[in-house]
Amino acid sequence: MTYTIATEAPNPQKPSVKRTTPARRALPFLAALASPVILDNISWNPFSGWKILVGLILLIAVGKFAWSSAERDPDDPRLALKLWHRPDQRALSAMTCFALVALPFILATDFDPPMDFPWNTWFRIINYIILFALGAGAFNLLAGYTGQLSMAHAAFLMIGTIVGAHIGVIWGQSFWLTLPIAAVAGAALGVVFGMPALRLRGLYLMLATIGVHFIVLLAWREYIVHWFGFGGVRFVTPTLPSWLHWIPGINPEDGEFLINTQFRWFWVNLVITTLCLLFLVNVIRSREGRAFAAVRDRDISATLLGINVPRTKLVAFALSSAMVSVSGCLLSFYNRARSEDSFSLEQVLDYGIIIVVGGFMGIQGAIFGSVFFFALPMYFEWMREELPFISDIDFFSRYAGEVDLAIRGILVVVVLVWRPDGLAGLWQSAKSRALRKFQNSQAGAAR
Amino acid sequence: MTIFASTFFDLSVNFQLVVSGLALGAIYSVVALGFVLVEKSTAVLNLAVGEFLMLGSYFGVAFFMERQTNFFIGTFVITMIMALFGLVIHYGIMRPMVGQGFFAIVLATIGIATVIRAVVQIRFGPLEKGNLTALPTGTMEVAGTNIRWVDIIVMLVVAASVGAFLAFYSLTRTGLHMRAVASNIEAAAGVGIDPDRMYAVTWAMAIGIAGLGGVMLGHFTPSINPALAAIGLRAFPAAAIGGFTSVGGSIIGGLIVGVIEMLAGGHLGTKWREPVAFGILFAVLIFKPTGLFGQKDIERI
Repeated sequence: MTYTIATEAPNPQKPSVKRTTPARRALPFLAALASPVILDNISWNPFSGWKILVGLILLIAVGKFAWSSAERDPDDPRLALKLWHRPDQRALSAMTCFALVALPFILATDFDPPMDFPWNTWFRIINYIILFALGAGAFNLLAGYTGQLSMAHAAFLMIGTIVGAHIGVIWGQSFWLTLPIAAVAGAALGVVFGMPALRLRGLYLMLATIGVHFIVLLAWREYIVHWFGFGGVRFVTPTLPSWLHWIPGINPEDGEFLINTQFRWFWVNLVITTLCLLFLVNVIRSREGRAFAAVRDRDISATLLGINVPRTKLVAFALSSAMVSVSGCLLSFYNRARSEDSFSLEQVLDYGIIIVVGGFMGIQGAIFGSVFFFALPMYFEWMREELPFISDIDFFSRYAGEVDLAIRGILVVVVLVWRPDGLAGLWQSAKSRALRKFQNSQAGAAR
Repeated sequence: MTIFASTFFDLSVNFQLVVSGLALGAIYSVVALGFVLVEKSTAVLNLAVGEFLMLGSYFGVAFFMERQTNFFIGTFVITMIMALFGLVIHYGIMRPMVGQGFFAIVLATIGIATVIRAVVQIRFGPLEKGNLTALPTGTMEVAGTNIRWVDIIVMLVVAASVGAFLAFYSLTRTGLHMRAVASNIEAAAGVGIDPDRMYAVTWAMAIGIAGLGGVMLGHFTPSINPALAAIGLRAFPAAAIGGFTSVGGSIIGGLIVGVIEMLAGGHLGTKWREPVAFGILFAVLIFKPTGLFGQKDIERI
């Protein structure tokens, strides 16, 4: 029997190399970040809907610019390790950046809100989407990416809340101080409560962490009743630190800037969540992240690769629970009130639904999942009120919450049966199909 | 020690707690049995087991409270309906999901649980119902303490049905096939057993047993409400003590957890019931993951 080594035919075309300067690559993102300042300062208003037209044009321009400034060099392996190096990735991330930063300004100032919900309601939903994306992203790092099915998620939310309540409310310190301390406390306790993962796997670990949940729940109840009584804790309104008052659009009254409206909270949540999720994405790309994936796939084979499996598991627990603890602290300050019964095992299952519906692997799934989780009830509410066929049926308005619950359950099962990789998988396949079509058309045009 | 009430060594109080703990434990063991059966044969962690139990209780409301059905006929019909429901779940959801990750299938059972909870609230309203009274109420005096008749009957019914199930599982041909599929699915398929059919039978039996447990639970608890589903979580400590792979062990585990929980609740206060039960779960998993009766898995790399 003879073996032939298949060799590729030498590529007649010279591989296309394109190098751009870092400044050019950063420019679309900087433009996106600066756009609200410019858009907000333009008082010229020739016709209604003018700003949204400008916004759309700018969105496309930013995307196009980011696409054209992407680097291309097939011979440079370091390029493939960079975050968002492909043209489509760069264009999409710049457009997302622009949409997140500029659209709130364009929409909230000049337009009536869609679906007849007030803007406040919309921003409340968006705030919840952002905050749950942070918690779900951290959960996904542990459960999806490292394969440690932990049900102690709500326990770390509680720990973050305890830190926030004790430092922010009892000791009266700044909100900004509580976040890093919550992260440190979450990481430390994550290492402690991650210990069972060194002995257990899969189902067994899941059940042991349910045990952790109930033990922390007891401590949480004792804590709240002892320090705040049965009414629960009411959080103070955080203020923006004075060294950040230079940010355009901030006009402090009496020397301080209270974060007390949904719109102001949106920026706080957006910045913190973006930083945390970017950190997680970068961890996944590092050696530590590859070790996580190796542990998930087979921890015994991971030891053969020279990975310290116990350490990797504990690092995953520490990282994830630090982030979850931060999100718990942030959620509590945003929610303003927490009582004895604020946390339950159902919350962990909600986060589980978010990551599995969104896509089990990766941070993107967490974002898609939390959009699904919060936008869907809004949509149902709108349908109940506005659509003539549905609003006429008494049944739907009488059992609004239950019908929502039932439809959500059915949708979860349908998504899981029909599309196991979740909404993120759907998005990825749609994107790659569109890209292939686009490249084919380009190739056709070139020929 | 102030946490111990003065009744800590009181024999009659302890006796009463142990008896109601055994009745509670009987229900736990039914839940754990349904849970272990599915876990062992189909490797699916059924987190909806508490919701199935609650559904059984609400079927009890529909049959015994609203229609005044005879207890035996009603229980039989409820068990059959729930078994049919198990078949639907197997053929509709679990079979298309074969080959997917562990967590995805767990989440699918949570989806089922959500739907059950919503449907129950639509059909029966959000208010709680009184408990079922198809069994004789009242108490009987044993050794100076009052024991509820319901506790004893619940224990007897559970013992009888679990005994019948165990006889079926270990003596009949279908039971043998079920055990074969649970222990090695490929070898079982190789000798001509249809694993798909056995999975369906397993689901039907597990959900049917949960329905029966729900009827018993409806007689046992003071009121029937959607929060009853939380009892499904107690299947985990019970199954952990039994060792997850042992059907008989889950029954003993359920009784142990029921008694310990009742004693802890009686002496330390109700808020300690869950932490104690799950503390046991935690300790068992850390120090003896195979439980009392579980078999040790040998894994290939």
